[in-house]
Amino acid sequence: MRLLSILQVYIRVSFLQWMAWRSFAFTLVANQAVTPLIGLAVWSTALPSESRLPLYYFVLLVVRLMTVSYENHTFSGRIYSGELADHLLRPHPVVLQPLGDNVSIRIWHMLIGAPLLLVVLLFLPAAEMKLWPVLAALPALVLAAGIQFLFTFSLAMTAFWTERAHAVVHLGSTLIFLLGGVAVPISLMPGVLLPFVELLPFRYMMAFPAEIVADAMTLEQLGFGYVIQLVWLLIFGWVSRRLWRSGVRRYTVVGG
Amino acid sequence: MIKHVLLFRRVFAVSLQRQLAHRANLAFDAMMTAVGLASGLLALIAVFSRVETLAGWTLGGMIVLLGTYQFISGMIAAFVTPNLAFFQPKVTNGEIDEVLLKPVSSLFLVSLGTCYPWALVQSLLGLATVAAGVSFVDVALTATGLLAYVLLLLVGLLVGWASRVLLACAAFWAPGAEPSIIYDAFWELGRYPLSIYHSIVQRLLTFVVPVAFISTLPAQALVSGMGPTLFVGSLAASVIYVLLARVAWQRALRRYTSATS
Repeated sequence: MRLLSILQVYIRVSFLQWMAWRSFAFTLVANQAVTPLIGLAVWSTALPSESRLPLYYFVLLVVRLMTVSYENHTFSGRIYSGELADHLLRPHPVVLQPLGDNVSIRIWHMLIGAPLLLVVLLFLPAAEMKLWPVLAALPALVLAAGIQFLFTFSLAMTAFWTERAHAVVHLGSTLIFLLGGVAVPISLMPGVLLPFVELLPFRYMMAFPAEIVADAMTLEQLGFGYVIQLVWLLIFGWVSRRLWRSGVRRYTVVGG
Repeated sequence: MIKHVLLFRRVFAVSLQRQLAHRANLAFDAMMTAVGLASGLLALIAVFSRVETLAGWTLGGMIVLLGTYQFISGMIAAFVTPNLAFFQPKVTNGEIDEVLLKPVSSLFLVSLGTCYPWALVQSLLGLATVAAGVSFVDVALTATGLLAYVLLLLVGLLVGWASRVLLACAAFWAPGAEPSIIYDAFWELGRYPLSIYHSIVQRLLTFVVPVAFISTLPAQALVSGMGPTLFVGSLAASVIYVLLARVAWQRALRRYTSATS
């Protein structure tokens, strides 16, 4: 309970700080939106008969805006600059502060992205969203957001060992782009890849909620997806904990 | 003119020397560029495993287009962006003073005064990709096609440079905005031929953010040939853009009121 209220304070503080950077947040949103929109343009030109693709990419855009993670900019930067020392002294788990940052940035992305989403929705031919798939996708969206935060946070912590945490995170996002259903919707991938893609984490950080809304999924597929999502959430939670413990042990900082 | 060419060579040499101190970065940058290029190619292959042509383009043509995009992006990232990205603080802090005091063209110094040679790896990989794309499909290479391609690459570079200058000039009128990230977002759209986008977007990408010139038009000239009207039009567009950039820079300088002492 106490942790939750601390988290809330961090979210609020970071939200207000971003208020001063509104125009910058706007450009971030544009950057995030561009890849799903390119995917939409490419695939609806390639396969105009696939009527569910526009809806798929629309939801993917929502997922993208709600799962953005910039820990390589925020958290790695603090490791490099030594500001982390200040956070180590605070009497609560250090992860709360990056988590608060993360949530507030996502709220800003949604606020700024909302008009864009409305415009895309206007252009969508026959956007028939049914109520129950949308409801079924909501927990998947929350889980995807959680996995993506822990994934990026883990990669950003490589800053304890290397100066190139930025590139490591970039590599991670390239994998999400390729295998997470952004460049190619999972159902259109070459068949040999499917068994791997369905077990790897990338689909569950991005495409899964969009697939729930756009495709007619059976209950088994839905259940299977949710189980894998939970497994990856736990795995990345464990990984980030391990990385944090060994990273902070070797962390030496000047100043503070 | 010759003075500027010599100066440009010096700028390159000095920047290269500076960068040679960080050789590990070269390996890393090269790796990241290769990963980015590979992911682009894989995305293309996935599309073409479903269809034969995409908006009239074959797989080979698309690879040529992607390579062209990488070549021009690499050149711009090597020579132009290190100078003009995040330009606004330079205006508000009065750093332009330094440029104005030197006895060469201020536009040259401000837009090409330093460079990041490692980004040229992207250009080299881009050229290799173009070659691979050409050999992959039987594109009938003609001398005129090749010449047109090279000229249009030049057009792409000039337009890319000029549009960056125009963007930087905007900082003199609207110092609060930082338009370069949103410009980069539009630039990404150049990975694919314009014909896949909505017609409004196509017009936007030809006249406002001139992405058409950096990939679609040169690749089209090489792969499927190009009518004389479009070709001459592209050449004219590059001249117009360069002139616009010069005029905008002069106007911007007139608005500039130094900030340092």
